[in-house]
Amino acid sequence: MADLTTTIGPLQLKNPVLVASGTFGYGQEVVGLMDLNRLGAVVTKSVSLEPRPGNPPPRICELPGGMLNSIGLANVGVEAFVEQKLPFLAALDTKLIVNIAGRTPDDYVAVIHHLEDQPNIDGYELNFSCPNVKKGGLEFSQDPTTTAGVVNVIRKQTQRPLIAKLTPNVTRIREIAQAAADGGVDAVSLINTLVGFAVDVETRRPRIHAGAAGYSGPAIKPVALAKVLEVAEHVDIPIIGIGGICNVTDALEFLITGACAIQVGTANFIDPGSAPRIVDELEQYMNAHKLAALPELIGSLKKWS
Amino acid sequence: MSALPSRAVCDCPVDAITEVADGTHLLRFRSPVISNQSLPGQFVNIKVSGGQHPLLRRPFSVCRVNAREGWFEVLWKVVGQGTAIMAQARPGDTFSVIGPLGRGYTVPESTRTALLVGGGLGVAPLPFLAENLAAAGTSVEVYVGARSKGDLSMLEAFGSLGLEPVIATEDGSVGACGFVTAPLTTRLKELQGAPDAHLFSCGPTGFLKAMTALSKQYEIPGQIAIETVMACGFGICVGCAVPAKRQVGTGRRYKLACIDGPVFDSDEVELDG
Repeated sequence: MADLTTTIGPLQLKNPVLVASGTFGYGQEVVGLMDLNRLGAVVTKSVSLEPRPGNPPPRICELPGGMLNSIGLANVGVEAFVEQKLPFLAALDTKLIVNIAGRTPDDYVAVIHHLEDQPNIDGYELNFSCPNVKKGGLEFSQDPTTTAGVVNVIRKQTQRPLIAKLTPNVTRIREIAQAAADGGVDAVSLINTLVGFAVDVETRRPRIHAGAAGYSGPAIKPVALAKVLEVAEHVDIPIIGIGGICNVTDALEFLITGACAIQVGTANFIDPGSAPRIVDELEQYMNAHKLAALPELIGSLKKWS
Repeated sequence: MSALPSRAVCDCPVDAITEVADGTHLLRFRSPVISNQSLPGQFVNIKVSGGQHPLLRRPFSVCRVNAREGWFEVLWKVVGQGTAIMAQARPGDTFSVIGPLGRGYTVPESTRTALLVGGGLGVAPLPFLAENLAAAGTSVEVYVGARSKGDLSMLEAFGSLGLEPVIATEDGSVGACGFVTAPLTTRLKELQGAPDAHLFSCGPTGFLKAMTALSKQYEIPGQIAIETVMACGFGICVGCAVPAKRQVGTGRRYKLACIDGPVFDSDEVELDG
């Protein structure tokens, strides 16, 4: 039987199939619809220092091959997260990665201070697609200097694995990934949503209340794969691949391109059983291709001669 | 938010599909699990195509249920790609259905007179509710409004329970001419302030705003079933936010139609538009 265990820097996972932040709530919501213990890890909804009510509706709309969303980081805040959400997540037989959102570097630090004493947290994923209020709303991962700066501050706060989740809405993502690596993160998650916009031609209003929003779903997979390829070729850092992954073929494309794990996002909304199915089918693929362990697959992309 | 553990992802075969009004279809699914677990006002989220077009599921109210025979029905009008695909369904086809989902109607113990009011396709969840209320011995009165005679459906479902819906159509083609709020208002005046009367409604936003106003004016508490755009239907996408009227514990200013609703107390949420 193929060995599905994977390594993301210091983090050991039983398999490379994770669920993406913001597409899986706090885990409890899916009880009865899928077996959470089958996952390589759960990545929580973004947790911020203070509770956030989120954006006014409409927050989502469907588009060909995907959807737009602007939820506004609606979440219960770190204190309520620790009290109400963490006990359920911590009891699962899978790794737990807490995704953190902030408006300033201090916000990330403060959230980590609340979480550091809590056992059973296996790592932090830093949502760097948040607007940085001190830089006029530019996202933390849209500029390498800003990325390196915030990572430097956060790295001093914790020994736990740190993963920077990067926006694809940049010219050269390799520069951002390199800055994050230099700042001391253990891995990067690629990619967050693409910026998108849609108009209701009857009302002539934006279809999302907040205006420009995040485009996700199968349509963004080629873009995500190109970003993974770029970083895999230029930066020495473990990559978690994200973007439109719905089935094992999608997952394999990311792994072969160089991701050491993947996250299932929008597909959870349509079929909460997607991620466990990918685990099963990945094992079948490896057995069929006589691959004994995942490192034989990761980054095994062949070049045209 | 309460835990809702009894839902499931089920592959449900189609037993029958009927066009019950102009462009309006009633589909009976076989599913012992969903028919056994459903409560009036809850919904199911259906993958209408096997592929990725459309990508997201479509939510449908549970219209009628027979737990003993293991079936439930959904009612819809063709309005877009997803509902058009559903209308092509044939007996024996199988759809992936997640359900039952959401918070349905809660009948207060004190209820002796239940006014069920459907606006247009908002009639969908009412046959199931009427059946449960009638079985519990509650006096049920049904009011249905529609644009025209051809838009009316499910009337025979009420008839089979011995109920005769009060009907209003905007073009006067059947029943009273105008909105159903007129005959309803006449009845509410008689019931004003009655502690054992309750208003259960479902329909478009403007209609629900009218129901909320009538509830307040005539001091008859009401519950409204709302319709919103939804991705998951079970609380993970957080896309179906509805502004809450009252501040709640954590300071959240929104409720989620999928897990806090789709049925709300009429003074619980702000209706836009």
